[in-house]
Amino acid sequence: MLYGPLGVSLAPYIRSSPALSKLFTPVAKWYAGGSLYRQYGLLYDDLLIEERPDVQKALTRLTPREAYDRQFRIKRASQADVLHAPLPREQWTKPEEDIRYLLPHVEAVEQEMKERAKWDSLEVKRK
Amino acid sequence: MSRTRLSNIRTNNEIASGRLRAIRSRITSFSTWPVCVPRTNIVVRGSSTSFGSRASRARFARAFFGLIVLSMLLVQRYKDWTQATSRASLRLARRRSFATAVDVGGFKVAAIENNQPTVAVTVLAKAGPRYQQKPGVAHALKNFAFKSTADRSALGTVRESELYGGVLSSTLTREHLALTAEFLRGDEEFFINVLASVIASTKYYRHEYEELVLPAVESEVNALHRDPATHAIELAHALAFRNGLGASLFAAPHTPVTATDVEQFAASAFAKGNFAILGSGISQSALSSLLQHAPTSQSTSSAPTTAPSSYSGGESRLETHGLPQTIFIGYGTTGAPTPELAALAAHLDPNPSVKWAKSASPILVGENTTAQAVYLPYSDAALVGLLVQGPTAAGVREAAKAAVAAIKGTSGVKAEQLKSAVAKAKFRLAANADGRAGIVEVLGSKVLAGSSETSLDAAIASLDKVSSAGFTKAAGELIKGKPTYVAIGDTQALPYADELGL
Repeated sequence: MLYGPLGVSLAPYIRSSPALSKLFTPVAKWYAGGSLYRQYGLLYDDLLIEERPDVQKALTRLTPREAYDRQFRIKRASQADVLHAPLPREQWTKPEEDIRYLLPHVEAVEQEMKERAKWDSLEVKRK
Repeated sequence: MSRTRLSNIRTNNEIASGRLRAIRSRITSFSTWPVCVPRTNIVVRGSSTSFGSRASRARFARAFFGLIVLSMLLVQRYKDWTQATSRASLRLARRRSFATAVDVGGFKVAAIENNQPTVAVTVLAKAGPRYQQKPGVAHALKNFAFKSTADRSALGTVRESELYGGVLSSTLTREHLALTAEFLRGDEEFFINVLASVIASTKYYRHEYEELVLPAVESEVNALHRDPATHAIELAHALAFRNGLGASLFAAPHTPVTATDVEQFAASAFAKGNFAILGSGISQSALSSLLQHAPTSQSTSSAPTTAPSSYSGGESRLETHGLPQTIFIGYGTTGAPTPELAALAAHLDPNPSVKWAKSASPILVGENTTAQAVYLPYSDAALVGLLVQGPTAAGVREAAKAAVAAIKGTSGVKAEQLKSAVAKAKFRLAANADGRAGIVEVLGSKVLAGSSETSLDAAIASLDKVSSAGFTKAAGELIKGKPTYVAIGDTQALPYADELGL
C-alpha cells in the first residue's frame, strides 16, 4: 500500500537526522493537532485501515482493556460525527496520550508474514 | 547430460561392486575359518609322516614351506579373531556403562554413548506440577517450549529443525519437565543451541500464549476427558497425595494462568541447579564442550520448592457417558519407593506375558474387561494399584471384586509366585531403561537428586534381595492404609468402595 498510515513514509529518515527532525517536529505537531481526530477523542492508531489481514491479526493481540477502549473511542467519535460537532474540549485527546498502541503489533505480524513467506520459498542447498 | 548419467551409473556400480566385494570377503572369511583348521591339521600330520618316511628332499622342502605359510595364515586368522572378540566385548562393556554426572557451569551433564545413529539431548527440569505455584502453569510451560526465543521465532525453530530432520518434544511428568531434541549425528551444534536458547531466552509472548499454547493445552485437556484411564489416575493422585504430587498434570478447562505466570514459573524452573542435561548417543565430553559455547540462562530466581509428600486415600466418582466403565483401586506409600512395591505391582498384573494368550486371572474372566497393574514411583512416594475397565458396569463390578481379592491376597504369596514377580519386575525395569524415555526417567531423577551412581545394577540387585518375609510385610503395610478408589462412568451402577470390601 502506497498511502495511508501504514504506507510508504519518510518519517524514519527524518527522525534519523537531528537537523531534519528539529525542522519537522513543530510542523508535525501542528499537523496532528489540526487534523481534528484528537478533537473527536481518537488516537492516531484508531485511524489505521483495519480491512487488512495484518491489522485484523494485530487487533486480536490487544489486551482486553485496549480493545475495549478502542471500541469506546470509535463509538464516541461516530456519535460526535452524527452530531456534526467535535467533543467537548476536556474529552479531546491530549498529545501525550496519543501513543501508537497498535503499530508494534502490526509490525510484528508483518514480520511474521515475511518470515513465513521466506521459509515457504526457501531454497535448500546441501553443504 | 547422458555422459554424466553414465558416469553416475558407473560410480553406483562401483559402489555396489565394492560393497559386494566387502560382503563376499566377509562371507569367505567366516566360512573358511572352520574349514581351515582341519586342513592345517592334516598338513601337520602329513608333514610328520613324510618326515618320518625320509622321502625326497624336494618333497620335504615343499611340505616345510607349506607348513610355514599355513601357520602364518593361522596366526593371522587367530589375530583377527581375537581382535573381533575383544571389539565385541568392548562394545558390550560400553553399552553397559552408564554416565557419571559432571558439573558444567552450574548444571549437571550426563551422557551415554551407545554408538546409535541418532542423538538425543534432554533438558530435565524439576518443573512438574508438583512444584507449581498456580494450578496448570506447569502444563502451560510444557506447551510453551520451542516458541519464540531471542535467537529464532517459533516458526523458525520448527522449519529449521525440519530441514535438519530432527524432532523436538516436551514431556511432563508429575515431578519433571523434559525438553528433548532427537537428531542425526553431526547436527549437535544446531539442536543444542535450540535447547539452550529455549531455556535461556524464550520470550513468553502473550500473543503466542493465546494463539499457540492455549489451544494445545485445551486439546490435551479435551483428550484427557475422553480417556477415562488417564483421568482415573489423575483423580487418584489428587485423592492420594492432595497437594504436591496430587496436582494434576493438566490445566483446568478454563485455566486462569497467564503468560506472565508461565514466565515467572519458567524463571524458577530453569534456575541454576534446578535442571540437568542428559544426552544419549553423544559422548560426555562432546556434550559438555558444546554446552559451554551455548547461551546460558541468566535467571536469578530461586528454584521452586515442595513439601514432602503425605498419603491420604479416599473415594471419588465421576459421571461420564459413552466411555468405558473405569475403576481404579490403589494404595499409596510415602518415602522412597522400595523394590518390594515393584515386585508387588508385577505380581498384581493379571495380563499374560504372551500376546493373545488367555489369562487365568479371575480379574479377566469377564468378556472384554481389561485390567492393568499401576505402579507409579516418585522421589518420595509411590502409588500401586489396579485399573479395571470394561464396557458394562456389571462386568467391571465383578472384575473389581476379584481385583480387591487379589490385592488383599498379596500377603499370602507363594515362593515361586514371588520369584516370577521379581523376574517380571526386573525385566520391566531393564526394558524400560533400554528406550530413550526410559533412560531419561531412570538416569534423570538420579542425576537431579545429586547421586553420582547412575547405573541400573543397584536397582536390579535390590530387586534380587526381595525376600518372602519382606514382601509380605510391605504388602501388609500397604493394605493397612486407606485405599484410593476412583470410579468413572455410570456412577449409578458402579460399586462404592465399601461394597467391594475396601
